[in-house]
Amino acid sequence: MKKVVIGSGSAFWGDMLEPAVEMAERSDVQYIGFDHLAELTMALLNRMKLRNPEMGYVPDIIPWMKKLLPVTVPKGIKMMTNAGGANPLQAATEVVKVIKDLNLGPMKIGVVSGDDVLPYLDDIRKQGWKFKNMDTGEEDIDRIRDRIVAANAYTGADEIITELKNGADMVITGRVSDNALYVGPLMYEFGWEYTDEYVNQIAAAVTIGHIIECSACVTGGMSNMWKVSERPWDMGFPILEVFENGDAIVTKTPGSGGIVNPWTVKEHLIYEVIDPRNYLMPDGIGDFSTIKIEEVGRNRVKVSNLSGKKRPDTLKLCIGFQDGYIGEGQALFPSPDALEKARFSEKWLRERFKKLGVEFDELRIDYIGVNTLHGDAAEIEDKDYNEVGLRIAGKAKTKKAAEAVRREATHLWTQGPVGSSFGTPMNVRPVIALWPTLVPRDMVRTESQLMEVK
Amino acid sequence: MKKVQLKELAYARSGDKGDVCNVGIMAKTKNVYNFLEKAITPEKVKAHFKGMVKGDVDIYPLPNIDCMNLALRRSLGGGATCTLRFDQTGKSMGPVLLGMELEADEALIEEAQQAEKEVIQKYRVS
Repeated sequence: MKKVVIGSGSAFWGDMLEPAVEMAERSDVQYIGFDHLAELTMALLNRMKLRNPEMGYVPDIIPWMKKLLPVTVPKGIKMMTNAGGANPLQAATEVVKVIKDLNLGPMKIGVVSGDDVLPYLDDIRKQGWKFKNMDTGEEDIDRIRDRIVAANAYTGADEIITELKNGADMVITGRVSDNALYVGPLMYEFGWEYTDEYVNQIAAAVTIGHIIECSACVTGGMSNMWKVSERPWDMGFPILEVFENGDAIVTKTPGSGGIVNPWTVKEHLIYEVIDPRNYLMPDGIGDFSTIKIEEVGRNRVKVSNLSGKKRPDTLKLCIGFQDGYIGEGQALFPSPDALEKARFSEKWLRERFKKLGVEFDELRIDYIGVNTLHGDAAEIEDKDYNEVGLRIAGKAKTKKAAEAVRREATHLWTQGPVGSSFGTPMNVRPVIALWPTLVPRDMVRTESQLMEVK
Repeated sequence: MKKVQLKELAYARSGDKGDVCNVGIMAKTKNVYNFLEKAITPEKVKAHFKGMVKGDVDIYPLPNIDCMNLALRRSLGGGATCTLRFDQTGKSMGPVLLGMELEADEALIEEAQQAEKEVIQKYRVS
């Protein structure tokens, strides 16, 4: 049976580089997918592009490609990356420079763009479509229209497949869904089409793509298996061996640390998922209620009997809009009376804000080491803690009000209880709130092209 | 019957989708799963988190892999990009839920503890 081997090389902007290089060096992967985008990232990249039209891609792509291409090109490994962000064409231009500098040509690079819906958002509305907020149910975007800074559709694998058919050795995309970076090569290799015949195979690709797309998160990272993960400081990234029927083996780079077992696969399968019978992706819908997970060797887990439904007619559209500012402050108090000192400081801060007449949309105060994570679920013990921290965060319409949080927290230094200790204060940050909605698939103007390096 | 924290019976991991926190619960054995499917209710989960979960709790069972997925709606202060929570993406919510108390059969608790020991023995790094 034909087998395709595909790995995950990055889960977010800032992920580790060495595990991707080691995967390329030591394994027999044919493809590596690189996800560099999160919901907020697109808004940041858009802002960078506004300031400089030659920016707007994830700049990591340059050092990444300098290390990776010399390994992947001789082995014929194809990389799929969404590091193009808000400017895939410019990202490709930069990669072309790297290829020329390292004399690695000839190479063909597929460039996929068109996920940015912002330029024609109002055209879509004029055709009668409403961008209903999927979280809150609000009917349309009228209230936030003048504060919108980004609107990117999570597009599917269509154009990736087009460029692989055109002979691309690498594909650089914009806000293509992370999942499509894996579904694309699998559909291309196995010749699966978006027809009824291949519904379960594509749903399988969606599901197994989801299992590996967060790199170390299925190989021992953020895991319940953390105590038994081998050399966790040398954690390998995950690799899939995929068969024509959609079954796959989940494994990791040979000789690497970390762990792959049924528990790590289970914990990642249902990670960041809501309804596991309807895992909605642009290329298909995964149904996890039929899946079988079995250990077939050391760091080898087989997933089989995958199923699902045909891809939806709408794409997820993530609209980002400006929504005020957040200011934060922190202090740590030593014993004796650490918790009492934190309580005193909370009262002190609240009185200060009253005196200054500062108003917040929301203000939150936690005691670090006591209830920052456990929140209301924590029972606060009145004991003599070695130390207790206070964290304050406030959201306000104006930057000035948010600044007050930081400034007053800093004043605890000289006016708080004896022993109040500080680190470096954090800067106030603008809030980009997200408006999750849908857009008809056929209204999103995706496109692709091939760049050739001689 | 004996009082037991969920951590003795299952593993958990959580993450975010907007303002929804999802908690994946992985039962340590098949028998434990069958017990948890009845024992874990939306009301119980919501009560454990006190005021932290402002919306509904939905439970999605996956008996094929002895797991269940919980969706805690309106629990992350509006979502990662605008929340005032230190833990912006709800990573700590799974472990917090592991502190939930249940009443379980002593034999079942022992079975789960034995399964946990076997996991440690099997994968222990030498």
